[in-house]
Amino acid sequence: MKPHRLSHSAALILKALSLGYCFGFDVMEATGLPSGTVYPALRRLERDELVVSRWESEADASAAQRPARRYYEITHSGKAAAQAATERYPLLARLLPEKHA
Amino acid sequence: MIPELPSPLRRADRVLLAATQWLTPRCERENWVRGWQAELWDREHRRKQDGTPGLLSGVIQDALWLRGDSVRQALAGTPFLCIALLVSLLLMATVPAVIAAGSLHGFLVIAAGSVVRVAIEASLVAFVSLAAGVTSLEQNLSGMQRLRLKARVFFFAKMVLVLLLAWMMSTDVTWPIRPFIPLTTLVLQSLLFVLLGLLGSRWSSLDSALRCQHCLCSLASPARVGRPSWNFLEFTGAELECKQGHGHLSIPEIETSWCQASEWVAAD
Repeated sequence: MKPHRLSHSAALILKALSLGYCFGFDVMEATGLPSGTVYPALRRLERDELVVSRWESEADASAAQRPARRYYEITHSGKAAAQAATERYPLLARLLPEKHA
Repeated sequence: MIPELPSPLRRADRVLLAATQWLTPRCERENWVRGWQAELWDREHRRKQDGTPGLLSGVIQDALWLRGDSVRQALAGTPFLCIALLVSLLLMATVPAVIAAGSLHGFLVIAAGSVVRVAIEASLVAFVSLAAGVTSLEQNLSGMQRLRLKARVFFFAKMVLVLLLAWMMSTDVTWPIRPFIPLTTLVLQSLLFVLLGLLGSRWSSLDSALRCQHCLCSLASPARVGRPSWNFLEFTGAELECKQGHGHLSIPEIETSWCQASEWVAAD
């Protein structure tokens, strides 16, 4: 399969997703990237099948007293691309802390 | 159906969503609004003293991305896009010639003087190109009467545009030396035109051969049909599908007595 060449911001977003930041606003806060970069990048990553999105269940959202979020999850090829991006941008791993539940 | 929020969004956010949702394609709108309601709600309830990042640019750019992507998907591989690109290239190639001629009128005068010569050369190029269309792919197209009227019009339009583009490019390239060696320039331009015209018209017929014969969109998902197919179907080659599901094109790897040319298989 052809390896994905990611831009620095896309690699940063993918890295954030792989570390457990799973929805748009969360990723934006963790990476410090502007919203105009994060949301279209998430769409592109989804189109390229590096991430998949799913809606949080209404029951979980109601229990937390907030609207259901659109969660992004990194795919198998996304993990490979994130790994390749970390090798290409070695500082990426140090930029983001792992998310604590 | 969008579920109700636990508490309403700020008025400014509601106005923003209401105004921007019209940028998104209709089929994506409900999901888009739902997703952004959740993001804006989250932003509002996590607001910190030091300021929370704004989402205005994200809302607009996300909506524009969805719109752009839907247009890209709708146009990709269509005959309209092909013709539009050729027309754009032709216009771009015309600009240097108009600049070199000094004015549009000057260019038109020179172009009008070359019409007969260009028509003769273009007819010869088109004839040679079509007569030389002997690949298994083009044999599929060789009987033009088999093509629908829409396909014939598209093929003809593409050929005309490609030949005009070839002539314009040959003019652009030879224009700087025209004042010094006019006769040699004429010969050089004719040779260049024939060469570019042949390449262009060969591309044109191969492109038509690799399009769906129903909707004229480019065929996609090339798949090589290998050994298992040879065993069961006595066919090795490649298959390309129409994205709209109108059929597929089988291209044999080796010409055989029972499968000499590519074959368009329409879906039932």
